[in-house]
Amino acid sequence: MSEIAPHLSVRIQHRLGALELDVAFTLTQPWTVLFGPSGSGKTTVLRAIAGFVRPDAGRIVSCFYGRDFVMTDTTQKIFVKPHQRSVRVAGQGAALFPHLTIRENIAFGARSQMEATAAAKIVEEAIARFQLPGLAEKFPTMLSGGERQRVAIARAATAAVSLGEGSILLLDEPFTGQDVRLRDELIEELRGWLALTQRPVLSVTHDVGEAFQLGTEVIKIADGRVVQQGPVAEVLAEERERLLKQINASKRSPA
Amino acid sequence: MTLRLAVGTTAILLVVALPLAWWIASGRGAGRALVQAVVALPLVLPPTVLGFYLLVALGPLSAPGRLLIRVLGHPLAFSFAGLLVGSVIYSLPFAVQPLVSGFAAVDGAYVEAAAGLGASPWRTFRNVVLPLTRGSLLTSAVLTFTHTVGEFGVVLMLGGNIPGATQTLSISLYDKVQEFNYAAANRTALVLVAVSLAALLLIYSRRGGLRRGELV
Repeated sequence: MSEIAPHLSVRIQHRLGALELDVAFTLTQPWTVLFGPSGSGKTTVLRAIAGFVRPDAGRIVSCFYGRDFVMTDTTQKIFVKPHQRSVRVAGQGAALFPHLTIRENIAFGARSQMEATAAAKIVEEAIARFQLPGLAEKFPTMLSGGERQRVAIARAATAAVSLGEGSILLLDEPFTGQDVRLRDELIEELRGWLALTQRPVLSVTHDVGEAFQLGTEVIKIADGRVVQQGPVAEVLAEERERLLKQINASKRSPA
Repeated sequence: MTLRLAVGTTAILLVVALPLAWWIASGRGAGRALVQAVVALPLVLPPTVLGFYLLVALGPLSAPGRLLIRVLGHPLAFSFAGLLVGSVIYSLPFAVQPLVSGFAAVDGAYVEAAAGLGASPWRTFRNVVLPLTRGSLLTSAVLTFTHTVGEFGVVLMLGGNIPGATQTLSISLYDKVQEFNYAAANRTALVLVAVSLAALLLIYSRRGGLRRGELV
């Protein structure tokens, strides 16, 4: 994957209960993983970038072809509303609209951005890529949890692709609830499509296996601070060791 | 006459109640609590109190009333328009309350998901919140309609019981009983019972048939 110029720079200070969030990082890779245990503040970072959380202090800027788009700047009192930001989001939990079919759900984020035929083309492509043709006319209540999650990713990706260049896709625990084989397929499809359309991704996870499967840049966050940023093999070496030790131990003494 | 009043009141109230209920449901604070209390006031006040204040406010006895008379050329009290104003205020809680509870029941995750997909607040309201609360909308409309059909105190104070102009069914029923015309009174009462029962049936029969993930 080719490196692209910085497309998002984030600096946030925010107090949330007992958690004192203080992070700063820049995204340069096509896909970046925000890794951390639950309660480390990673979801809050994502929500601040999306505009759902107003940080106590900080600045969030997306850059595209050298042009800056300030989304949050507390000193300049800039706070762009979520729907006007150059980001598209799939939050924790699928939150598919229950009154719309799967196709209508996926089309929801595409329709507001472009003319109908172009939008429909992207929607159909998403349905094909994410293996949803059999589900397109169904309603969300008829789907399994894993299927719903897949639709939510397809919906957000469709929205990001149809928003135009310079848009960033934010995914909060996107592959939780997927079985591993399906997850890896899904990752390949999503990465292929987003690389083709050049939409960078920031995804949040606490899953070591998922981070390695993505095999990208990782920002490790703990107790509201950035611990390390770099290639996954470097940043998560310790977690990988621990996981391997557990696997080996269970091999030696089968239960 | 009763029908015209009820339809007019329902139409006006839906337009007024939708944004008001959305605003009340979308946050909290002293301002919202006060507005909600004022909206609910007609529920607990005797209708005659409301009618009396409206009579004074719309009539030539007060400054706003005199201003209204100068602008319109005639007093609002003892006219259909005056009745309409009274009904709208009197039935306001019946229109707003079902909508507030309906809107409050919509999971915030849907609203956030819509915003995260680039939908403006207006589009979110129209394409996500409203379809999920169609049942509340119907309840609100039917309650407003039937409540207006059956109202008595405000109409009596404000409308002055002018046959053909401001005499509603419930008041003509009262008149007929005063005249010991029980047969006519019975017919009017039956009409009112039938209308109310039909409206309530419409609401409750939908309970079994909720489709497409409607909430309330």
